Amino acid sequence: MTTKRGAGRPPEAYLPLPPATFHILLALADGELHGYAIMKGVAARSAGTVRLGPGTLYGALKRLLETGLVEERGERADPERGDERRRYYRLTHLGLSVVRAEARRLDAMVRAARRKKLIGVRPA
Amino acid sequence: MTAERIYRLLLRAYPPDFRAEYGRDMELLFRDQCQESDVRTLGFWARVFWDVARSAPALRLEAWRKRGSENTQTVEAIMKIAGMLTVLLAAFVIVGAAGEWVAGSKGAMDGRYVLAVVLGVFASVLLLGAGVAILLGARWGRQPARLALFASLVSAVAARLLFPWMSIFSQLVGFGLPVALLIALYWPNKTSTFKAA
Repeated sequence: MTTKRGAGRPPEAYLPLPPATFHILLALADGELHGYAIMKGVAARSAGTVRLGPGTLYGALKRLLETGLVEERGERADPERGDERRRYYRLTHLGLSVVRAEARRLDAMVRAARRKKLIGVRPA
Repeated sequence: MTAERIYRLLLRAYPPDFRAEYGRDMELLFRDQCQESDVRTLGFWARVFWDVARSAPALRLEAWRKRGSENTQTVEAIMKIAGMLTVLLAAFVIVGAAGEWVAGSKGAMDGRYVLAVVLGVFASVLLLGAGVAILLGARWGRQPARLALFASLVSAVAARLLFPWMSIFSQLVGFGLPVALLIALYWPNKTSTFKAA
């Protein structure tokens, strides 16, 4: 049983998100996923540069559940991964707003870096 | 020893509550990882150990902080009860001192006796003020309560030295209560939220 903290806070109040948390929320933007599917999604999206171990993943999920950014969607087996019942997670409305706000924040930073020609140009 | 057994041992690094909630899921996820990786490589185990070393201490610290926060609420509740008791006992001693004054006023009154009773009443009023300050701690902070308790203790000692008019009960309240409250106000400084000062 988890308790939700910080109800009523604007999405911007949760920023900046730790990279692992952002990746987890980004993976859950695809829909309901279990732990291993989140881990695989993060590894695939980051081209293997971000690898979440079980401790990091479930530690982050515990915090996300407590803050109300993610919710549990019950247990069921994944037909692709055997009979074991797995807990599924999905984004809440707040979680979706927060991941959007973080994406906008990062986008603004990337655009600022591009304007300063730090990225997007070939070095001389 | 199989990889899963080793991982089950490593799970002991996590807080018991976290293990109870997510231990099974973590084992399952580790089993999935084992199926898709070569568990005999050093790199695999380095990643596993790094994950535990990175996440377990942080979760332990969180659990420890949470317990600290629960203790803080308990201390705060105890201090509220102590504040109410202080107000009641101080009011009781003031009434007692008034009775003492009425009884003493029937005969000829010694100047030292008068001063001792006045100091006793003053000490009780300060004690009452300290009780109110403890009750309103979040708004006023600890410092007014501490100052009132110090002044009350000094007044009570002075009253007792001037003239031995106080009953055992009044002396217990006059000396014992301020000392106990001062210890309580200084001792749990770091765990109580009664710290707006």
